[in-house]
Amino acid sequence: MLEEKVALVTGGSRGIGRAIALELANEGADVIINYLRHRTAAQNTAEEIRQKGRQAHIIRANVGEPDKIESMFAEIADKFGHLDILVNNAASGVARKAMDLDERGWAWTMDINARAFLLCAQRAVRLMEGRGGKIVAISSLGSRLVMPVYTAVGVSKAALEALTRYLAIELAPYGIAVNAIAAAAVQTEALNVYKFNEKLSKTWQTTSAGRMVQPEDIAKLVAFLCRDESFMIRGQTIIIDGGFSIAPLIT
Amino acid sequence: MTIEIIEDVVRNTVTRITRKDISQFTRTTTFKDLEADSLDIVQILVALEDHFDIEVVDEELESITNMGDFIDYINRKVAEKTARSA
Ligand SMILES: NC(=O)c1ccc[n+]([C@@H]2O[C@H](COP(=O)([O-])OP(=O)(O)OC[C@H]3O[C@@H](n4cnc5c(N)ncnc54)[C@H](OP(=O)(O)O)[C@@H]3O)[C@@H](O)[C@H]2O)c1
Repeated sequence: MLEEKVALVTGGSRGIGRAIALELANEGADVIINYLRHRTAAQNTAEEIRQKGRQAHIIRANVGEPDKIESMFAEIADKFGHLDILVNNAASGVARKAMDLDERGWAWTMDINARAFLLCAQRAVRLMEGRGGKIVAISSLGSRLVMPVYTAVGVSKAALEALTRYLAIELAPYGIAVNAIAAAAVQTEALNVYKFNEKLSKTWQTTSAGRMVQPEDIAKLVAFLCRDESFMIRGQTIIIDGGFSIAPLIT
Repeated sequence: MTIEIIEDVVRNTVTRITRKDISQFTRTTTFKDLEADSLDIVQILVALEDHFDIEVVDEELESITNMGDFIDYINRKVAEKTARSA
């Protein structure tokens, strides 16, 4: 259980981040919900957390901008004084083939999905000093599998997974465990980008496990990685995909 | 905040992000005229939401055809916010 813990979930307003925020609250944590644009969604998630008897606080900050990350952590330090859990979940990205990618699209995607993980982890560690902590990053199968127009996001997720390994070893002496979770397709608004490709959309509707991954499946795995039961798991990217990646042709 | 100030911020933000000269921005200019792609539009919305501390609802943008409509929409959102916090 995660009583008395303070958790930050980046991109915790909607989709998978929302499920993670709610699950951490179920386990007893107070949750800071970071978001970019959807304030009402962030407020609704915070309200659900408060109804569970936990504290919730929302912070609007574009994690693609270093100064916004800085002020987000200053606000957390001011309000909570420390942090026990960082879930690096926020992601965005341009959907283009490699040959159509421009510098702006590349930078936007890498800054939000990969650089933000480094900058948030650096600042989170300061707030975990002397108490240890857990860091979980949300990745996707696209870090290894090639999917149409997923280029920039796929590369950013590969960077995120590599950084997970480096952070896990560097932060282990400080009592901080770092891991990542790579999920197959999950039905959130983010998936609407791929509506144009009917075949693709059909491919991931089923897995050998008989259904798609749900946000709650990921949230439960995050909670496990935030509990001390998972103490010996370090620097891993745990795949959660109903068997999709090992048997894409068998559903 | 006056509509003139809002118009000024919208004009500067839109032309900076779409990398267009300020003279190309009039009330009848469309996002298409400015060759704005989906990343430009997201960045414009993020910048304006940040600047005015408002929430733009994507579905509400569907009826917007040109910069005049867009300025009026942002103005409405700022007015709603001001009324709420009064
Ligand atoms: N959906 C899938 O199929 C899938 C599969 C595998 C992995 N994932 C990963 O799971 C995570 C969550 O995905 P999702 O499907 O839940 O996405 P989503 O529904 O699009 O939600 C994205 C969340 O991130 C926030 N966000 C986006 N850009 C941000 C920024 N620059 N700064 C701060 N917050 C930002 C959004 O805030 P607003 O609400 O304010 O917009 C929202 O809370 C991502 O890391 C994604 O790569 C998703």
